[in-house]
Amino acid sequence: MSDKKIKNIFVNGPIAPEFIAKSISNHSSKTGIGGHSIFMGQVRKDEIDGKTVSAIDYTAFEELALDKMQDIREAIFNKYPLSCMHVHHSLGTIYAGEICLFVFTSSKHRKPAIDACDEIVERIKSALPIWGKEIFADDTHRWKENQ
Amino acid sequence: MEIELVTFGKISELIPNQKIEVEASNTDELQTNLEQLFPNLASMKYKLALNKDIVQSTQELRNNDIIAIMPPFSGG
Repeated sequence: MSDKKIKNIFVNGPIAPEFIAKSISNHSSKTGIGGHSIFMGQVRKDEIDGKTVSAIDYTAFEELALDKMQDIREAIFNKYPLSCMHVHHSLGTIYAGEICLFVFTSSKHRKPAIDACDEIVERIKSALPIWGKEIFADDTHRWKENQ
Repeated sequence: MEIELVTFGKISELIPNQKIEVEASNTDELQTNLEQLFPNLASMKYKLALNKDIVQSTQELRNNDIIAIMPPFSGG
């Protein structure tokens, strides 16, 4: 068990590019960092059976998701020599073209930052109880399935 | 005993959140009961969580436990 405070990763609505820019600039004082890696998930305007996705509505089992994210955070920090890790995931309606996931890792050298970022994204997709409902332009919907 | 069901994703459209009376002493028995009560569930992929822990192997049930029914995750 960890006595670390559980961090909230959820943001209502899309993740603003300005927020991402601010997150980057927040690290300018951490001069031991030599490499950042960033992943951003963007809602794709998929076409499914002739219908176009206009948005994804995200819901989560938040308490369980935050517990699981804490486990992932600890495992990643144990595996890679990271200076820091930030994860933000949207809830609610995110329109096509907007950012719904932001993962940001930093390390002394590039490789751990890149590998950790990649592994975090994979783990978020497979282990966090979050569901995306694809909303079509005609207001019908389909529940998303991860590839 | 009484169990509180909370459902997510696609399953929330078939089974609203509700309290149900069940004769089950563990989560395996509960699963059988749930699939009888909600026949659509039997053909779906899902996981259960008992009081916010994902059920990996059968767990003992107590009165007023909260059971979450979760379809495959699709975050990110």
